[in-house]
Amino acid sequence: MKTKGHFLARRLNGRYASVWVSVLAILLTIITAGILLLIMGKNPFTAFYCFLQGCGLAPKTNYGGGSGMLSDLTDFLNYLAPMMLASLAFIVGFKAGLFNIGIAGQMLISGFAATVLVGYNKSIPAPAAKILVLLVGIAVGGLTGALVGFLKYKFNIHEVVSTIMINYIISYITGFFINNNYVDMLTRTSRVCSPESRLTLTGVVIGGVNCKVPIGIAIAVVMAFVVQFIFDRTCFGFELKAVGLNRKCARYIGVSVGRRIVMSMAFSGILAGLAGVTYYLGYTNTIIPKTLVSMGYDSISVALLGNSSPVGSIFAAIIVTIFQQGANYMSSMVGVAKEIASLITGILLLYASCGTYMKMMARGALQKELDRADDAKRAAFMAEEGGEEK
Amino acid sequence: MSEYIVEMCHITKRFPGIVANDDVTIRIRRGEVYALLGENGAGKSTLMSMLFGMYEPDRGDILINGRKVTFHSSTDAAAENIGMVHQHFKLVDNYTIAENIVLGTEPMKKLLGLFPSVDMKKANEEISELSKRYGLEVNPTDRIEDVPVSVRQRVEILKMLYRKAEIMIFDEPTAVLTPQEIDFLLSIIDSLRKDGKTIILITHKMEEIKRIADRCAILRRGKLIDVRPVADTSIQEMANMMVGRQVNFKQDKKAASFGETILSVNHMTVKNEHHFDVVKDVTFEVRKGEIFAIAGVSGNGQTEIADAIAGLMKISSGTVTLDGKDMTDTSIRVRAQSGISYIPEDRQGTGVVMDFTLRDNLALRKYYREPFSGNGILNFEMFKGYADKLIERYDIRSGEGAKTFVRSMSGGNQQKAIVGREIEEHAKLIIFVQPTRGLDIGAIENIHSHILAERDRGAAILLISLELDEIMKLADTIGVIYSGRILKIAPADEMSSEDVGRYMMGVKEA
Repeated sequence: MKTKGHFLARRLNGRYASVWVSVLAILLTIITAGILLLIMGKNPFTAFYCFLQGCGLAPKTNYGGGSGMLSDLTDFLNYLAPMMLASLAFIVGFKAGLFNIGIAGQMLISGFAATVLVGYNKSIPAPAAKILVLLVGIAVGGLTGALVGFLKYKFNIHEVVSTIMINYIISYITGFFINNNYVDMLTRTSRVCSPESRLTLTGVVIGGVNCKVPIGIAIAVVMAFVVQFIFDRTCFGFELKAVGLNRKCARYIGVSVGRRIVMSMAFSGILAGLAGVTYYLGYTNTIIPKTLVSMGYDSISVALLGNSSPVGSIFAAIIVTIFQQGANYMSSMVGVAKEIASLITGILLLYASCGTYMKMMARGALQKELDRADDAKRAAFMAEEGGEEK
Repeated sequence: MSEYIVEMCHITKRFPGIVANDDVTIRIRRGEVYALLGENGAGKSTLMSMLFGMYEPDRGDILINGRKVTFHSSTDAAAENIGMVHQHFKLVDNYTIAENIVLGTEPMKKLLGLFPSVDMKKANEEISELSKRYGLEVNPTDRIEDVPVSVRQRVEILKMLYRKAEIMIFDEPTAVLTPQEIDFLLSIIDSLRKDGKTIILITHKMEEIKRIADRCAILRRGKLIDVRPVADTSIQEMANMMVGRQVNFKQDKKAASFGETILSVNHMTVKNEHHFDVVKDVTFEVRKGEIFAIAGVSGNGQTEIADAIAGLMKISSGTVTLDGKDMTDTSIRVRAQSGISYIPEDRQGTGVVMDFTLRDNLALRKYYREPFSGNGILNFEMFKGYADKLIERYDIRSGEGAKTFVRSMSGGNQQKAIVGREIEEHAKLIIFVQPTRGLDIGAIENIHSHILAERDRGAAILLISLELDEIMKLADTIGVIYSGRILKIAPADEMSSEDVGRYMMGVKEA
């Protein structure tokens, strides 16, 4: 235990400290969740294995006709794609010092617009429809994000306040139109979008099993690297980071801070828009009226767990999605309510946000160790001196 | 009773990455003025913060009147009759002076014989009596936000007296005062000593120690170097011990040769965010090869002048002209590119991005231009080479060179980085605001020599400083600002520091 403590302390002070914080947060979450499951009288190992099985990352004991491990895996990827894009949306705002909690609303409005404009138009052929869906998502998401930035820049309205309000506005307006014009009387959700426009290819048979192949996952991975590149290598990203870390200094060196705020919110909105179309015209093909998806908020946990690094968020999104997507299967196999997935995500966020504290503790532990070595050296020295005297 | 009122024995205090105090032992006698001398970061404030209960020492003991004490908070220290005037005053701005003084120990009365309430009348009376006794004239019913800095300091002293402090710690008390106010403060300290109080004075100004202190402890990099009776120690000796090498007080300043006018400010008025005129109808010009210094007490509009010239604040009327070109309505970046460099007052809040590396901070004026970037893509090889060049040229010291985060650098080296970055623009006009505030002697020498070198290169220099010594040493021309107006502009050799001090307090021509 002692050596392990030192091992951790050194890692948490080292070059990849933030990665280790995330790893530690995940480990602590698994332990905490395991204890919770134990208290409920369930076997935590079985439960965690079921999470993996539900995501197609481990084989189930038996499969229904036409489905297999690969179909579970593609389902998992279908959910992962919007999750990654949503967390990228959060990161882009966050790097510029903006807390975009309107991702759920931005996803909803883009998904709605794409469904109505492209998804219900049966005459557009598949490749064109899919490209149009993406363009509508980009345009609508970007404009909604830009509006938030504009409100902040022009009227000094804090983005947290405006995004919460806009979330409600979007949720009710789209709900109103869906219920009035686009409702499916049977399911009480919006009518399904055309398969031509959907960003998930359904009914693809690979290796004898039915798969839903998500196009979104490729977009999400590409976007993660694009965002990483923008922040690492470009003037634009450099300025956004400066605005995020010290707005006064950014202004002092001549960055037009207001314009950068609008642009970063627009960029954040674009990514949220892409998340929206991959969710509503990919993972699902319909919209539940007056409902904001929890993914909009889970993406914040993902971003923080990934240490707000775009590439790091790929891994963080995988972890969180395993719990979210695997919950159904786990629930049916182990008999724990699937809400435990949200609970685990919450615990994860809690530990991830304790990162600074963990680093501080590690530093203290290392210092104590040095002190002890120092004392020992001094004691040895004194003993030697004493010996000579005799 | 012990001979010593305060004993701090073998005190060690560490912060992440540094040892602030390393086995320091000081013993302070009852009724003396004991000075702690040291550069920034020498550990003076940390040592006193432990005596005042804000930190606990990692090792070592604190004894008051020969009795071992452990302070967990400043309340514990106050219970031992220890008071402290902090460098940044701890006052509630929209409370009256009396309310600030009694806060926490209010005299109580029973309203209608029933409800406990604060007896402000009694408080006001007590405080005016106290202020008369010690010659610290204040009006107990004035609000803090309406009174000047020197009065706020008196309030802090009264606060200690009201709490019957016997041991009084002053942290850099003269940093914000004019020469006349400093004289007054030192006379107050003297009368407190006569009254039997024990005074601990934290400072880096040798002249003040020479004038008022009995003994002086010199700290350097966390270690106690020596404790000397002030009477038989020269200023030169103190300075050498403080810095650890021979200090040269005289800077070689060549005779000035002025060229054409570079900056001309005409009838400039600037409003702050509350639409209140902070700079009023200011007119002056700065020539090539001239150091024009603006002297004034803090908060009289001098930083706003600098901000307005650099474009960070809007000019509500009047004009700013640089080298014949009107700059009044241009953007910050256009002004920077036209030849204005600016070393801002708030170096950590404005001058650098603390969580950027030194490399990125040094490139803040260059990153958007060739060859530092092309087509919007940054060229980090250029960044690195440029940073290494500046680090060497300006002697910027840091843990890991160019890739050090600026947050982990000392204030002096942060400032050297800003000064280096701005000077390297080879601007026509360089604005320095408080360029050496809080820096140690070595860094001050370094920055002063850069300012003079830039003047001799032919730059026009606008120097804004609260340190009168600095202005007297560097300026070719002095303008004195009071309440947003420049009351007097004269060549530096025609004004003594007393003259400047008088104008700083708003006294017009006699």
